[in-house]
Amino acid sequence: MRENDAMTPSTRDHATGWLMIFPALTFVAVFSLYPAMDSFLLSLYSEFPGSERSFIGFGNYAELFRDPVAHQALIVTLGFVLLSTTLELLLGTGIALVIHERFKGRGWTRAAVLIPWAIPTVVAAQMWRFLLNDQYGAVNAILFGDQVDAYVPWLADPWMAFGAIVLADVWKTSSFAGLLILAGLQVIPDETYDAARIDGATAWQRFWHITFPLLKPALLTALLFRTIDAFRVFDLVFVMTQGGPGDATQVIQFYGYKTLFTEGRVGYGTTISVTVFVALAIFSLFYVRTVGSKLLQREPA
Amino acid sequence: MTKPLRPALLSGILLAVLGSLCPFLWFVLTSFKSQIQVEAIPPTWWPDGSVGFYASALIEHRLLHYIRNSVIVAGATTVIALVVATPTAYALARLRMAGKAWILGGLLCVAMFPHIVIAGPVWQILERLGGLNTHWGLVLPYVSLTLPLAVWILTTFFQELPFELEEAARIDGCTGWQALYRILLPLAAPGLFTTAILTFIYAWNEFFFALLILTDPEHQTLPVGIALFQGEFTMPWGEIAATSVIATLPLIIIVLLFQRGIISGLSAGAVKG
Amino acid sequence: MVLLCNVPLAHGREFGTARGSSPTLVSPPVTLHFVTWKADHPQAWDEAIRRFEQAHPRIRVNREIAPHSSTAYHDLLTQKLKNRDVSLDLFFMDVIWPAEFAAAGWAFPLDEYFPQNEREKFLPATIASGVYRHHIYGVPSRIDSGMLYYRKDLLEKYGFSPPSTWNELVRQAEAVLEGERTTHPLLRGYSGQFKQYEGLVCGMLEFVGSHNGSFLTEDGRRSNLTAPESLLAVRFVREQIIQRLATPAALTYQEPESLAVFIQGKAVFHRNWPYAWGLANDPRHSKIVGKVGVTTLPRFSGGKSMSALGGWLYGISAYSQHPDEAWAFIEFMTSPALQKYFAIHASLAPSRLALYADPEVLHANPQYKDLLPVFRTARPRPRTPVYPIVSHILQRYFSRVLAFPKTDILEEAQEADRKINRFLALVRDARE
Repeated sequence: MRENDAMTPSTRDHATGWLMIFPALTFVAVFSLYPAMDSFLLSLYSEFPGSERSFIGFGNYAELFRDPVAHQALIVTLGFVLLSTTLELLLGTGIALVIHERFKGRGWTRAAVLIPWAIPTVVAAQMWRFLLNDQYGAVNAILFGDQVDAYVPWLADPWMAFGAIVLADVWKTSSFAGLLILAGLQVIPDETYDAARIDGATAWQRFWHITFPLLKPALLTALLFRTIDAFRVFDLVFVMTQGGPGDATQVIQFYGYKTLFTEGRVGYGTTISVTVFVALAIFSLFYVRTVGSKLLQREPA
Repeated sequence: MTKPLRPALLSGILLAVLGSLCPFLWFVLTSFKSQIQVEAIPPTWWPDGSVGFYASALIEHRLLHYIRNSVIVAGATTVIALVVATPTAYALARLRMAGKAWILGGLLCVAMFPHIVIAGPVWQILERLGGLNTHWGLVLPYVSLTLPLAVWILTTFFQELPFELEEAARIDGCTGWQALYRILLPLAAPGLFTTAILTFIYAWNEFFFALLILTDPEHQTLPVGIALFQGEFTMPWGEIAATSVIATLPLIIIVLLFQRGIISGLSAGAVKG
Repeated sequence: MVLLCNVPLAHGREFGTARGSSPTLVSPPVTLHFVTWKADHPQAWDEAIRRFEQAHPRIRVNREIAPHSSTAYHDLLTQKLKNRDVSLDLFFMDVIWPAEFAAAGWAFPLDEYFPQNEREKFLPATIASGVYRHHIYGVPSRIDSGMLYYRKDLLEKYGFSPPSTWNELVRQAEAVLEGERTTHPLLRGYSGQFKQYEGLVCGMLEFVGSHNGSFLTEDGRRSNLTAPESLLAVRFVREQIIQRLATPAALTYQEPESLAVFIQGKAVFHRNWPYAWGLANDPRHSKIVGKVGVTTLPRFSGGKSMSALGGWLYGISAYSQHPDEAWAFIEFMTSPALQKYFAIHASLAPSRLALYADPEVLHANPQYKDLLPVFRTARPRPRTPVYPIVSHILQRYFSRVLAFPKTDILEEAQEADRKINRFLALVRDARE
């Protein structure tokens, strides 16, 4: 029975492939692609409470280009993405290396490091708001004990409020990065290490010369998905600061939410989100071309 | 194979565990305090051991009901996402087809749509399908939103597995489907478990769509339930703390179960060797 | 009739034995969908709705729970209305929304149900907030307005009577802080809500308004933030309130945090809504039970005390298929009997004037007697369909000048002015 010859491309292969991909494509087309197209159309109109919807072409995009509030939000967002993803990849690698080792109680350790990520973001954000409270917050109690007059209102200062958002995100999602990196660690064969160990390499040398290069694909996957997520950060800001004080923590997605949902400026709010999407798409396209193509290149010999 | 812990590893474990748990431990302590202790200035460390917040979370706020809804939604999302993503990832990683790069790229793009922008249209689709205020109405968009990550991870995993085994199977007359389910799937178990955890927790955590789609308290999930604890002018820290503690328990159990899966699959090194 | 009575009792109230209380008994039972929130006194609401269903056996009320924050509730509700959700019948409107809801066609006009003579029985400010362009869209469920809480014991100790001007408040607070330095080193002069959110607009309206300033010009067509009296009031808040009395921590406070400071005995003065009275005198929450006084907010010399109007109106969705039944519900819930019930059991200040002379209401809430003048003169926030946009511009402006002490108030005010004027003009153009 060799009607389906694995050695040459066959139409059967092709058909099976499409059949396998079809359900995923359907889901995505209905619940993501169509809504996104719909939104893109909306972004070509001007609409707010008390006015009729009117077509203005790319007028909203032109306005976004000139909007100083949007520029500020973009800078805040980029700062957030840079800081949080860098810290998360560093900590995530650390976490992955630790839970990859074999030791007694590893299961519990894994569960422990995943707890932050298992707490719903809205709750984690409330928790950090509580921890950072200027009066009854644990952070102040740990730092200053009973010296209440030294307590710091962390979220009142524009810079520290920004730092608090980063801190909450890093705490919550480092283990997500860690899990993705762990997946990468698992496919590195143990023998590679054994050989190196015999050669007398130190732990750091082993990591830098063996683990790290092999870990790159996993690190890049983590970087990609963390960047995409960090760029769209919303819940944390929504719960912790509402963008304040003085718009210091207003990230682009929160600004988009406010214009779209609260202000009812449907066209403009959609424009902000579509622009975020286009920026991310360009980033990922570049990314997939440089990294992802390797993923698809491996073909049967 | 347990070795004595090296100091570096030990400190790594301690750092990771303490860093992850300390903030949460404060919540655990808070959950056993009384209302006046929660807002005491300066904060009191040791709770007086009251369980009032637990009683209030479980009875008044019907916590178990929300947990049940969340388990249903997150569980269904995970199962469907895996069933849909696995063949897709297999096809992308293993079959010779034109346009694979486009499909993977397209799926990735989908992951990038800001949620707030697709929320409105998704609501309208679900209204037409009668999916508002139902669990499946929430599961469908969740599957769509988690597919890109799931496909990406599984593709990476399938890619790493040796081709020889599968070729041997194909020569023996297996179809693509059979090769996938008999040969590759067991080998890719770690990837499946990783994906399952990621998907489950995503659905467990998601707030925005859940808030829009489920307004009937009978169907609301945990994040929505907790968010709605808040009264007009009161901040129920104690109840939120007690709820988080209880709500984290199922997750710990799931992680403890699944994490075995992450390693129990054949280690890739052995296969390659 | 016969058919209805034959339905087994197990089916509950929905088909319960109606004793001819409703004229349209032949029509099938109706379930009203009411978007509400988890109330601070849930039992009181459960009981009220139970009584309504008892009085109207063929109407059932199905409550959908939305977040209680005004903005979050608004966002969820308007999303449903934008989608023309026909399953929705009843909702609450914050007093700042009727213009937006009316302009967008989301709220059903209630003119026929709610005649002039009935409206006159309510506090005028609450009725005014439900009116937009000569139609009424909401019925006030209660009244909320800003008021000054103070530490009766501390003011008495230093021989002060409650302050009538803001400068007096600063002087008194500083004298008390000075005197209590050794015993209460952490005491603050003032606790209020200055986080970047809707509440900031209310608080700042009270400062600006009590200095004869306003956010919009008299005709509501232009922004008025650069008027000297407004700028001075804002500068006063920045320099005297935030930097001296309240500490910058107030920039993170919404109602609960600011109240916690006060009821933990850590502030001399506190600005809040009427609900705070109950909590400040509840020994389960408060360390200052019996030591609390409440009065009208201070003014600037030459100005008049100003209190921001808050509270919720009942509204009917324009897409509702049961406006008559929905009205029956609103009428019942805002009736004198029910408002009295809510005043006694949920500390909600009634919107009906007559209840302020009711001995039982006053017995449960003795503070109402002094507060009625505040309720009568409460000032609404700007009334425009683009209020959410205006509010965001105001929030950004106030939060920036308070959080960044080096910013130039005039420059920031000019920028806010420009933006607000642009949107007010857009709405006018759209209508004319």
